[in-house]
Amino acid sequence: MKSEKTFEDLMRWRLAEAATGSPAPPSATCLLELIRPWWEIWPAQFLDAVDRLGQINLNYGHAMETAGQYRGGHPVPVLIVGEEDSLKSSARVLYLDVRDGEFRLRFRLAAAGLKAPQRYEVTFIGADQRPLFSAEATLFMNNEYHLASELPEDLAELWKQLKVTDKLPFRLIIRPVKAAVPSSTCGHMCL
Amino acid sequence: MMKFVWFWTFWHWSKESHRIGTLLHSPLHEIGTHWDEWFRHEASDADREAIAKTGQSEFTQRQFIAWFCKKWAREAEWRKNRTIPKFVLGQLSLVPPFNGWAAFEKHRIQAGLGGVSAIVLAPESSGEPADVRPVAAVALNKDGANAESKVLPYNFNAERSELEAARNAATSMLKGKGLLLFLALWIFVGKRPYSSWLKTILETGWVGMGAMVLYLLTGPDPDEMLVPIIAVLTGLWSVFALLGLTTAVWQGGQAWRAGGHWSAELEQCQIRLNLRDPLTLKGSSAGSAFCLNSLLAVYRAWPATARRSWLWQRIFRRLNAEAGSWAATGLVTPDGFIKPVMLEPKIRACRQHDEITHIITPHQREALGAAKKDQPKPSNPIGGIENVLKDSAMAPPGFAAEKLGLQIHPCRHIAQTFLAIGDLFSRRQILVNVVAVMVTAVMMAAAPDVREILFPSPPPKAVAPSSPSPYYLWVSLDTKHPKYFEVVLQSGFWADRRAKVQSYGSANGSTRAEISLFKLARARSDNTSDGTVWIERRSYFLTREFMSSERIGRYSLLYLNSLESK
Repeated sequence: MKSEKTFEDLMRWRLAEAATGSPAPPSATCLLELIRPWWEIWPAQFLDAVDRLGQINLNYGHAMETAGQYRGGHPVPVLIVGEEDSLKSSARVLYLDVRDGEFRLRFRLAAAGLKAPQRYEVTFIGADQRPLFSAEATLFMNNEYHLASELPEDLAELWKQLKVTDKLPFRLIIRPVKAAVPSSTCGHMCL
Repeated sequence: MMKFVWFWTFWHWSKESHRIGTLLHSPLHEIGTHWDEWFRHEASDADREAIAKTGQSEFTQRQFIAWFCKKWAREAEWRKNRTIPKFVLGQLSLVPPFNGWAAFEKHRIQAGLGGVSAIVLAPESSGEPADVRPVAAVALNKDGANAESKVLPYNFNAERSELEAARNAATSMLKGKGLLLFLALWIFVGKRPYSSWLKTILETGWVGMGAMVLYLLTGPDPDEMLVPIIAVLTGLWSVFALLGLTTAVWQGGQAWRAGGHWSAELEQCQIRLNLRDPLTLKGSSAGSAFCLNSLLAVYRAWPATARRSWLWQRIFRRLNAEAGSWAATGLVTPDGFIKPVMLEPKIRACRQHDEITHIITPHQREALGAAKKDQPKPSNPIGGIENVLKDSAMAPPGFAAEKLGLQIHPCRHIAQTFLAIGDLFSRRQILVNVVAVMVTAVMMAAAPDVREILFPSPPPKAVAPSSPSPYYLWVSLDTKHPKYFEVVLQSGFWADRRAKVQSYGSANGSTRAEISLFKLARARSDNTSDGTVWIERRSYFLTREFMSSERIGRYSLLYLNSLESK
C-alpha cells in the first residue's frame, strides 16, 4: 500500500502531537529561578541551618608529646539537613587540594550507622556565616564522600595554601540530593 | 616490571601528597581512597591505558597481583608484615577498576583477614543471626594522622577506652601477667607437645610411680628389694620430673620470647579493626572479640615468630584457620579479665547463625547453663528425631530452630580462651599432673630418707661422753643423722636392749642412744663389762620404717665405758 505522506510530514505530525500533550517551555525567569542556590530560595531555612551549625562546638585539645604540626587534622562541623529534622555531626577531611581554580575534597562523616545517601549537596559556610558556594558530593564508601568544584577566584587564591591538617575555614551544611522535586516558585521540576 | 609502572606513579603521588599535606592519612592507610582520587583525577591517559591493558584478562590481572606481592611489597618494605599486601589488595579490590577484575574476587571479601565475630545486638533485637558481626583486624604501620590511637575502628564508632582496653589485654597476653597466667593454666591443665607414644609412657610412668609410692608407704616390707625399688623410683621420678620441667620451661620460654617479639611489633603498629556493618557501639561487650582479633592480627602479620613456640602455633593456627566459626562476647579489662555481659540473646543469635560453632562468653550463670544444654549429643538413630524435636521445642517462640552442638566456652580470662581455642584442655593431663604433683611432694619430703637409702652416710664412730651413771649406757655417736641409726646391746651380764639414737641437749648434750642396764636374773657372766654394742642402720621412707637393718659398727662395753664421761 502506497502512502502519499512523506517522512518529513510524518515527523512534523509527530512533533505537533507531542507538543499538544507537553507542558509549556519554562520561561527565562523560571530558568533563572532554577539555577538559584537553595539559600536564596529558602532564606529562612538557611538561616535556621546556619544558626544550628554555629551551635556545633567541637571542643578538643591536643596533649601532644612532641612539638610540630598536628597530623590528625581538625574535624569540620557538619549539619546534615534531612526532610524532617537535622543532625549535628562532624566530618574528617581526608583529601583537600586546590589547583588551577579547581577544588577537590574528600571527607568522611562521623555519623556512622546512618544509611548514607548516594549524593549530598554540600554548602560551604565561611567563618562569617555566609554561604561560599555549594557542590555535589558523591558517596565513595563507608560514609566517605568526594567532590570536585570550580572555586571563585578569590577563594581559590585563599585556599591554595590550605593543608588537610590545618584548621579549615569553613563549615558544612549538607542535604541529600533527591530525585526531581517541584520548584517552590515556578512549578517546574528541579533536580 | 615496567608494565606496572602506573602503580609506582600512584604510590609516589600518594606519598608526595601526604608529605605536602593534601592527603591526611599515610599512603598505606586509606589506600582505597587514595587510589580512587588518583584514578579519577590524576592518572594520565597513558596510565589509564596501561591499567586497562592489565585488566584485559584474568591472566594479566594475576600477573599484576603476583608482581604486587613479590616485588612491590618487598620494595615498599612491607615484606616483614605479611598481612599488608593482603590488606592493600583487599582495599583496592573495592575500588574501580579493580572491583571489576575477576582476579581480585577473593580479595574483595578480605580473604585471610577475617577474624572472630563480635556479637552486637541491633536495637530491640532479641538475638538474630545478623547480630553476629564479622570483625577483620589488620596490624598496620603507624599512621601519622592517627598516631595517638593504637586501635583504629573502621566503619564503626566505639569508645576509645574500650578499644584501648582490648589492646592492653592483648599486650598482656603476649608479654605480661596475662601470658604468665596462661602458662600457669597450661602447666596445670594443658595438653603437652609430646608424641602419642611418649605421652603413653609418661602417663604409665607417673601412675606406676604413684603405685610404687603407695607400696612403699603402706605395702609389705620390701626387704632386699628396698634399694632397687627406691633406685627405680628415684630414677624414674628424676627423668620424668626433669622432662616435665624442661618442657614447661622451654615452652614457656619460647612463648615468652615470641610474645615479646609480637609485643614489640604491636607497640610499633596500629590495629585496624573493621566491623562489617557500620555501627556506633554502645557498651563494651565486643571487647573480648576485639582483643582476640588484635592478637590474631599480630600473628598473621608475623607468623614466623610462632615457629618455635608449640603453644602459639597450636592456638593461632587453629584460630587462623577457623576464625569464621568463632564468636566472642564479654567486656575485657586491660589485664585480660572477661566481665559479665547480657548473654541470652547473644547465645541465641549464635545458635541461629550458620557458621558459628564456638562462642566465648564470660563465666556467668547463663553461659554455664547454656553450655550444659549445648553439650554435643551422641547420635542415636532412634532417639535422634525426638532430641531434635525436644530442642526445637525449647527454642524461644518466633525464632528459627536453633542448631545443636554450639560449643560455649565460659571464660574468666583471655588466658582461658587460649585454652579453648587451642583445644589445650585435657582431663587426662590433669589426672597425670595430680599424680605427678603428689609423687613429687612425697619424693621431696622423703628426699633425706631416699638419699640415706641410696647413698648411706658413713658408719658413725662412738665418741665421748659416756654415761656418768653405772645404771645407764650411753652410746654417743659422731653423726648428723641420728634418725637412721640404732644401737643394740648384747651381753652375758646385762639384759639385751635396743635403743634409738637421738640428739640430746643440755649440759651432757650429744647424739646418743641411752640404754638402761638391767642385770640378768641368770647372768651368763660375772663381768659387768661383758657385752657388745652393735650400731645398726635403719631405713625409712617418709613415715614408714622398714624392718630390714644393716649392722655397720661394733664396740665392746669395756671400750664404751672407758670413753671419758662428762
